[in-house]
Amino acid sequence: MTLNSSVEFKGITKTFPGVKALDGVSFLARGGEVLALVGENGAGKSTLLKVLNGDYQQDSGLYLIDGAERHFKTPQEAIAAGVSVIYQERQVVPYLNVAENIFMEEIPVMRSGLIDVKQLNARAQKVIDEFKLPIRPTTKVKDLSVAYQQMVEIMKAYRRSPKIIAFDEPTASLSESEISTLFEVIERLKASGIIILYVSHRMKEIFQISDQVVILKDGKYVTQLPTRSITEQEIVKLMVGRELGDIFNGLSRNEEIGEVVLRVSGLTNDYIHDIGFELKAGEILGFAGLVGAGRTETMRAIFGADRVNSGQIFFGGKQKRVEAPEDAIACGLALCPEDRKDQGIVGGRSIADNISLAILKKLSKMGFLDKPKERSLAEDAVRELRIRTPSVDKKVGELSGGNQQKVILARWLAANPKVLLLDEPTKGIDVGSKSEIYQLICDLAKRGIGIILVSSELVEVLGLCDRIIVMSQGRITGELKRKEANEEKVLELAMAGM
Amino acid sequence: MGSHDEITSDKQVLGLVGRAFKAEKVGLLIALLVMIIVFSVLTQNKFLSASNIIDIFIASSMVGLVTIGETYLLIALQVDLSAGSVAGFSGVLVTLLLSWGLSMWVSIPVVIVVGGIIGFLNSLMVNKLKLEPFIATLASMSVFRGLAYIICGGKSVFVMNNTFLTMGVGRIFGIPIPVIIFLVMFLIFGIVLARTRFGRSVYMIGGNATAARLAGINAQTVKAKLYIMTAAFAALGGIILAARMSSGQPDASVGLEFDAVTAAVLGGVAFSGGIGTLGGALIGLIIMQGFNNGLMILNVQSFWQTVAKGLLLVAALSFDYVRNLKRKAKT
Repeated sequence: MTLNSSVEFKGITKTFPGVKALDGVSFLARGGEVLALVGENGAGKSTLLKVLNGDYQQDSGLYLIDGAERHFKTPQEAIAAGVSVIYQERQVVPYLNVAENIFMEEIPVMRSGLIDVKQLNARAQKVIDEFKLPIRPTTKVKDLSVAYQQMVEIMKAYRRSPKIIAFDEPTASLSESEISTLFEVIERLKASGIIILYVSHRMKEIFQISDQVVILKDGKYVTQLPTRSITEQEIVKLMVGRELGDIFNGLSRNEEIGEVVLRVSGLTNDYIHDIGFELKAGEILGFAGLVGAGRTETMRAIFGADRVNSGQIFFGGKQKRVEAPEDAIACGLALCPEDRKDQGIVGGRSIADNISLAILKKLSKMGFLDKPKERSLAEDAVRELRIRTPSVDKKVGELSGGNQQKVILARWLAANPKVLLLDEPTKGIDVGSKSEIYQLICDLAKRGIGIILVSSELVEVLGLCDRIIVMSQGRITGELKRKEANEEKVLELAMAGM
Repeated sequence: MGSHDEITSDKQVLGLVGRAFKAEKVGLLIALLVMIIVFSVLTQNKFLSASNIIDIFIASSMVGLVTIGETYLLIALQVDLSAGSVAGFSGVLVTLLLSWGLSMWVSIPVVIVVGGIIGFLNSLMVNKLKLEPFIATLASMSVFRGLAYIICGGKSVFVMNNTFLTMGVGRIFGIPIPVIIFLVMFLIFGIVLARTRFGRSVYMIGGNATAARLAGINAQTVKAKLYIMTAAFAALGGIILAARMSSGQPDASVGLEFDAVTAAVLGGVAFSGGIGTLGGALIGLIIMQGFNNGLMILNVQSFWQTVAKGLLLVAALSFDYVRNLKRKAKT
């Protein structure tokens, strides 16, 4: 393996309808070093990886491996050229064993056409030994921990003798000790001359593992620096820039907080323990925490989407039984779910159909829908929320992420809720739409709606919320007032007990 | 200013009408037209004679009732494979009840209610046991076909009741009663699907069940209604068939559900849920039955009709696939 291999992007640009996902991104990574790609959600990291592995083709710019220009039309071509990406979601076949997964497309067969199990296992064992891992070739992958499933994927990439291995948020679902095992493996890969690209937003890890840092912001390349020459604060500043800060300062916030509209006490189920808090009318209450801290699960439990084992929910002082979403809706609750595409929109149906979904009962007489009313309601919402579309007949699946989110907000505003639960409302949305949605959230608070904002983007929680509740491992670990909250305090609580 | 506004609203109306027809119906209507023209020429206009058109509609009526149910189910991303068995079972049951001397005004409602109960059982398997609709109704398909044979001891049950037989062969203003029942049902349920809250829930559940549930729609209730409805239609179809054949036969209506699904899919109902109309399904049904009928007039061996049905389906879906590819390429 050559130690002087390199991968270089020169002015890579990739545009989607309405969004410039990558805008003149350049960087150079060399064999034997770890290059970290950092940036906020939506900064273009995933798009960049997709260009790297041939899933997307750049509109302009050069993609060079070892100095030679490459144009991959499919991921298969990229793999053949030595590019492997280890994704956040596991890409293993759970019911096949470790050896079969590692050698997936190159399973040795005997002359009879049957699988040469002996040779397959021996080869797999050799790879496993190189990584010094305590797993057996014949174990079914579904019986391995998530961390070892990831190792199987890394070994699969490794045995193809790759030039480049890119990791996309590889530690998202790993424990501390599993992370250190992963880092040992990455060090070993690095020592063998492989180029490592490491995508993460966890600062600690970036300083631990990387040699170079490339910072992206809103699809644009900001800078490339040796990790040693920069501090965490400086990276964050470059990542966030001044823009978002400006956005939050420019918001017109609600100052009048009213009575308690929602009180939860002792809420417990399989995912969350003893959750209790109060929400007042016109208040924006943030829920912060790491991925998997139980924030989404808390919202789903309150909304009746998941079963609750114990605990009480009070609306306007009265205890209510919430066993299904329709019960919650009847109490004046609304939920914009985290996974917009799979749980929020009905992509194949029109904007009008999507907006009226939660109030079909109100819109109908003797079971018949009042279609003109439905239409005018949708048209009003499109105007008010500035949903960019030629007409309310357009399929929601064809809108941009920001506009889809506005359609879901419109759906709930039509229902006139007292409490609005927003789960990652700006996930995967461009900065322009984000600021519109922030202002919208403030406007709703002014109308006296109590709002819960679940977000993994700390700037968002710190910039918008009157109060922040932090969760870790299914429990509430602390609460911060707007004035006293800062990034360190939130993170400290978010890591509590880990 | 005023005139300017009028122009845009006119354009909008035109655009709306155009879109509604262009997107979904025009392809279908063209297919229907081509079929009519081709068969009219080949059969020297026999195809378009009043009596032949009535024949096509009579042949459509039994399948048609089940097509209503299957269209609703497919839109909600469900399917009922037991409809043919339920029709067969119901035909035998109604003739048995009549042969025991029960009045048809009692027997028919009883059998339709029994059909509804079978549908409810199907919905329980889907809602509570969380079985895939395909598997759940595959099981009841087998169970009720078996029961159809068991309750009559494997032999056809003949009917003497003349009022009952009128239901199969009688005419009002020259139109056969089965055709009237089927068209009235199509009209009613077409309006229900397009205009009511219930109809909308069906589309939204098929489009995205999770989103519909999180918006407060009780998908289980809606699904239960759909299975009950479909099985009741199958029962009604079975009753009408028994009246036409003046007997209940345990092997009647085998594969009825697949014909109904074929008609619906031909008519633009998406197998992936959320899309389709009952009007489209009706056109699909007429195309399917018209094709059969045309080949029959041309004395094509009946085995070839079955082959033609399959090819028709593949042709229609490939046409859709190509059209979607083009639409995607545009955006």
